[in-house]
Amino acid sequence: MQTIVTDALIIGGGLAGLRAAIGVKRRGFTPLILSLVPPKRSHSAAAQGGMQASLGNSAKGWGDNEDVHFADTIRGSDWGADQVVARMFVHTAPKAVRELAAWGVPWNRVQKGDHKSVINGEEVTITERDEAHGLITARNFGGTAKWRTNYVADGTGHSMLYTMSNQAIAEGIDVHERMEAIALLHEDGRCQGAIVRNLITGELIVYLAKVTCIATGGFGRIYRVSTNAVINQGIGTAIALETGIAKLGNMEAVQFHPTGIFPAGILVTEGCRGDGGLLLDAKEHRFMPDYEPEKRELASRDVVSRWMETHIRNGHGVTSRFGEHLWLDIRLLGKAHINSKLREVKEICQYFLGIDPTESLIPVRPAQHYSMGGIRTDYRGESPTLKGLFAAGEAACWDMHGFNRLGGNSVAETVVAGMIVGEFMADSLMTEASLAISSMAIESQVAAVRAELASFQRSDNNENAWQIIDAMQSVMTEKVGIFRHGGQLSEAVSELQSLYERASRIKVSDTSRGVNPELCAAYRAKKMLKLSLCVANGALAREESRGAHSREDFPLRDDKHWLKRTLTSWATDASSPAIDYEPLDVKTMELPPGWRGYGGKERIDHPDTPARQAEVDNVQATTEDRFAKQHQLMPFTECLPAPFRGRNGRLSEELES
Amino acid sequence: MLFKTPLSSPRGPAVIDMLQSVSGIILALFMWAHMFMVSSILLGNDAMYWVTKMFEGEPIFGKGYPILVSLFALFILSLIVLHAFLAMRKFPATHRQYRTLHKHLGGIRHTDSYLWYVQVITGFALFFLASVHLYQLIMHPADIGPFASSDRVWSGRMWPLYLVLLFVVELHGGIGLYRVLVKWGWFMGKDPKVGRKRLTIAKWTLTLFFLVLGLLTLAAYMKVGYEHQDRAGERYQPAAYSHLNSASQGGNH
Amino acid sequence: MNAANQQSIPVKVSTARTIEFAIFRHNPYDDTSEPHFEHYELEEADSMTLFIALNEIRAKQVPSLQFDFVCRAGICGSCAMLINGRPGLACRTLVSQLPAKVTLMPLPGFELIGDLSVNTGKWMHGMSERLQTWIHSSEDTNIDAIEAKMAPEKAEQIYELERCIECGCCIAGCGTAQMRSEFVGAVGLNQLARFKIDPRDNRTDAQFYEVVGNEDGVFGCMTMLGCEDFCPKELPLAQQIAYMRRAMAVAGIS
Repeated sequence: MQTIVTDALIIGGGLAGLRAAIGVKRRGFTPLILSLVPPKRSHSAAAQGGMQASLGNSAKGWGDNEDVHFADTIRGSDWGADQVVARMFVHTAPKAVRELAAWGVPWNRVQKGDHKSVINGEEVTITERDEAHGLITARNFGGTAKWRTNYVADGTGHSMLYTMSNQAIAEGIDVHERMEAIALLHEDGRCQGAIVRNLITGELIVYLAKVTCIATGGFGRIYRVSTNAVINQGIGTAIALETGIAKLGNMEAVQFHPTGIFPAGILVTEGCRGDGGLLLDAKEHRFMPDYEPEKRELASRDVVSRWMETHIRNGHGVTSRFGEHLWLDIRLLGKAHINSKLREVKEICQYFLGIDPTESLIPVRPAQHYSMGGIRTDYRGESPTLKGLFAAGEAACWDMHGFNRLGGNSVAETVVAGMIVGEFMADSLMTEASLAISSMAIESQVAAVRAELASFQRSDNNENAWQIIDAMQSVMTEKVGIFRHGGQLSEAVSELQSLYERASRIKVSDTSRGVNPELCAAYRAKKMLKLSLCVANGALAREESRGAHSREDFPLRDDKHWLKRTLTSWATDASSPAIDYEPLDVKTMELPPGWRGYGGKERIDHPDTPARQAEVDNVQATTEDRFAKQHQLMPFTECLPAPFRGRNGRLSEELES
Repeated sequence: MLFKTPLSSPRGPAVIDMLQSVSGIILALFMWAHMFMVSSILLGNDAMYWVTKMFEGEPIFGKGYPILVSLFALFILSLIVLHAFLAMRKFPATHRQYRTLHKHLGGIRHTDSYLWYVQVITGFALFFLASVHLYQLIMHPADIGPFASSDRVWSGRMWPLYLVLLFVVELHGGIGLYRVLVKWGWFMGKDPKVGRKRLTIAKWTLTLFFLVLGLLTLAAYMKVGYEHQDRAGERYQPAAYSHLNSASQGGNH
Repeated sequence: MNAANQQSIPVKVSTARTIEFAIFRHNPYDDTSEPHFEHYELEEADSMTLFIALNEIRAKQVPSLQFDFVCRAGICGSCAMLINGRPGLACRTLVSQLPAKVTLMPLPGFELIGDLSVNTGKWMHGMSERLQTWIHSSEDTNIDAIEAKMAPEKAEQIYELERCIECGCCIAGCGTAQMRSEFVGAVGLNQLARFKIDPRDNRTDAQFYEVVGNEDGVFGCMTMLGCEDFCPKELPLAQQIAYMRRAMAVAGIS
């Protein structure tokens, strides 16, 4: 059996994995990336609308800074996020954009002078400053106080991914394509690499590494209607869970994007609404202002998706043979804008719907979009329970999104997490990380994987992998969706549990050499079912509504009982997950829990909130300098790797000083 | 590693590529000019006679030197040889490449790829057909004129060759000029896709025009040659024109 | 039913045809496998794409069938194949736009992994290494400071060329690339043009000439234009190759 040894094994070749590898390499260590597909085909490419970073160059972003971005992110998270991590993120995001600009991303730039734009359904004129001409511009996105989303037309993720991947090639980083890690190797609570299946030859390979990083993205494909790529099955997350040591955080926090095209679920960017697009119902009535008079179409995604589903339930959906949907109207943005800034949207409409969005309405309905949950890590990106295992990007739950992620914060997170986690992996390589796994441990773990793969070819098996996956996706979409209810969730748990048991009897009839797609489906089905069970159990246990987790039987956010993070683990040989919780401490929060500025105003407060709020108010009133104020409330700079601690230059702040 | 990278970068490839285009452009433009010249027969024998004498240098030297025609034909022939030699490096070189190309063309049903193949075939044909034509001119430069040419066409039984040559050369030159413009991005306008469509239309219009002109011209030579077949070999004399004309008319009556 | 309901989803209604798929099958890792076509029948459904059709054929008829899809939205470039002989993205090809007999073959010019799956990634990676498709700059960037300015039009112009998704259709549609495996193709030339117009890239024309001033580079192109006509992103490839050709011709003789 082939064995490959490296310093840092990075599983996943999207933005997070690539950037982490570049960081490790620049510190003098050898990274190696495993990728299911060629890195440039990773799901990062699908991020259309943009990346949030508070550069504050454009007129509508003027006065933006880390503080504003931080507050938006925490409100978006419905106070589920780790505020230190969110601070680290908003501080590093401008650096990430600027680094990418230097590496070649053709960010759209500020054009000085007057521009026509559409805000709240009306045409307005925006005047850009002369001194900002040629700097990186930004568009509007949901749940933000400023226009902060830096973009490259509507191919932002594509441009970022190509630039990052090319940079990795330039730095001579090894990428082993079409490789799937199907188990982590570990001994004595330390991760030491992975057992990997070659998706061309079907062979197993052992990759030994001092540190391992999972950057495999989300697990949207456990749902039937998802904007996610078909590779987003969460296998990376599942193999961490299967160690029995690493834990997953907030798995029930699943985001639904308001504008998946109906019925295919393919994403059209939030930029459509950010740039002025409207949501209409069957009577072509613009309904969002009725529910959200302040933010309208641009409340956070969880809120908009819920109102859309509510509106359909109230009988205002458009009926079609595939079910009901609503309309997205971008006609008012004009041909010139759509043909240049929303080109991918136009192509998607043309090819999948046969319509021209400059003239027709786009049928949309919320679709699963993002996994806020993932492998629980500390602010350094390392699992607190399984040393040497790092995670970055959507696969991770270092927890900057809490229970709802803001649009534009995900591609931003991938790169920022890659920067930060890459540094901490290198730190670990310099200090404690070593290769110390016994050959016995390797052999027994490889044997277990082989046994599992062989088990699918037992002659008395009788289940079909695709049917099981199909059934799982139906349960998840129908019973663990946007609106959740205890009764349905209980049903979901028991149905998933029985599917999980059936999955052990999946029959793989094809025994030829090579990738064997049937075998892939078989082992992935089991792993995906484990994740589904984590999501459903977490959702059933959490008896409150927070962010994207919305319980009809517990409609209020309950800080008193539920200001805590769900941790899910799966003991070896157990048949279901175990849940425990990790409290969030109100007394250390820079922004104590309150109303988000959109969505429901009622909630059950945490007993510590008033006291902490008073402390915060006091600091706000007595301290002048925003940096000093922030430091007093919640110091975070020391948590950042040294290269990223510097303050961010900005047109407004430089002019003021 | 999938590819090899050259160690040094000689200027050869750039020069060769440009030479191929330049020789092609000259040949195509010559071809059209040539067509206008020979079509002078449509304006009457005198017109064609005058054109012939122009080429023999009569306006400059006072009398015609057919050797000039030989030299010019030699120049064109060498351009053709050069052009063909340069173009050949792009042809399929091995049986395997040939098979791959055929499979490719058969499957994709793509006009511009077909046109390229038409150029390969016509280019191959041209190399022989044009060489025969030019060899004759080089060796018998004086045999150009309203009667001499017509006799060659009819009594010399060259018209089938010229008929084929006409189609082959017009297709090859027309496609070639279109391709060279797209290749170097000339006359494409602001939107290159629109530009290409415009060029395609222009190309087919010109090809059609020259084919019609060529067929009419060939028919005219055939007619003159047919009528002159009894006196094949006789040279045209502008002064004798009316006499001969009336004589032949008289003969027909 | 109210009036609004009449404006239902604008997907073409088609009477359910039975589509006959002739699919190329070969597993190069199985010694007993020989290249051949296999035929499958599938009832057409509304708004069925080849993505949906192939997955259904695999799930219900032939579990060993290999093909590649990732984004299934026409943006990642994984699923290019020959659809009735012509290169295209399978995920966004609606079955309703195809005749009742559909032939599917793997993209030619790339290493076959199995059936309809080819290794475009390996080819593209080799191209990137060979042409060095990244910004060559000696400047150290201070990522804390305000970014360098760029003309807004220039940024848009670069993105125009950066929309390439490395799907391989231009290689499959190119007679030259099919005959000569070392030809960089439109994908390579377009990417280099993208870096050539980028003011952040400090490479000179002489340096670009080093990599594409040869018969495997820009001078190998025979202007058959398959690249441009089969590009699913409708990139102006002929224009970009012409741009590189002019620049390299000048660089070559000077």
